[in-house]
Amino acid sequence: MVPFEYYVILSLLLFVIGLAGALFRRNLIILLASLEIIMNALIVLFAAISYHTKDISGYLIVFFLIGMAAAEAGVGLTLAVLIYKKLKKVYVDEINFFRG
Amino acid sequence: MNWNILIFFYLALAMTFSSLLAIISRNPVHAVLWVVVMILHQAFLLYTLGSEFLTAVQIIVYAGAVLVLFLFVVYMINLRKEERWKVFVSKSSYGFIIFVVFLYLFFKNLAFLTALNPAFKVQLTYDLSQGSNLLWMARYLYSHYLFQFEVIGVILLVVIFGAVFLLRKLKEVG
Repeated sequence: MVPFEYYVILSLLLFVIGLAGALFRRNLIILLASLEIIMNALIVLFAAISYHTKDISGYLIVFFLIGMAAAEAGVGLTLAVLIYKKLKKVYVDEINFFRG
Repeated sequence: MNWNILIFFYLALAMTFSSLLAIISRNPVHAVLWVVVMILHQAFLLYTLGSEFLTAVQIIVYAGAVLVLFLFVVYMINLRKEERWKVFVSKSSYGFIIFVVFLYLFFKNLAFLTALNPAFKVQLTYDLSQGSNLLWMARYLYSHYLFQFEVIGVILLVVIFGAVFLLRKLKEVG
């Protein structure tokens, strides 16, 4: 049986990698993919908690998280396509049409 | 050192490196494909955590639907490569120092973070001799978590409406 701490460390690593991707990349698509990596860190953590406490709630929260991730990707990619139709680029530091 | 630990280490290393490659590769198609690799490894990790249903959901929904949606969008907006730019925030090296300090604080307090609270009360118990993991998940999903299940369905419906509404063809007015 793998100790619970290992899962927490793995989840922490995935979260940090996803956060770095969301902060350092300019491409909106890769930013959304980094948000998926952060969501996967949460999935690992909830499944490990559920496995180690013998409580079913964590597995069900993972199920809901996968649904939420699908919804979030749908909305984010819709906005990316809209921004591309307006500006012909998806680089987040060049999107400034809200500036007055 | 038994097989469980070895399999876990392989999966953890593969997930970490594929997600690192996903965020450092310049080509968006390669980045999305590396995320697919990470998600397939994570599906097997969920299998080792005892839930075969979540393995199937992870492969079907994530690798089959969400990442294919990402690939469609990448193909549709046709970006070749992201060029390297100069740093647009001076003093950005301070950010790395803060990042390292945060990592140090995380690992210093790791025992605090990883301790499961002994007063944790198991609410929804399951017994694998009375039925598989899938059976227990179905029992609690359709009884205890029924409202949340319906809410997820409504959220996905709203997302479909929103995507269709936002991407409709605009007609010139006046």
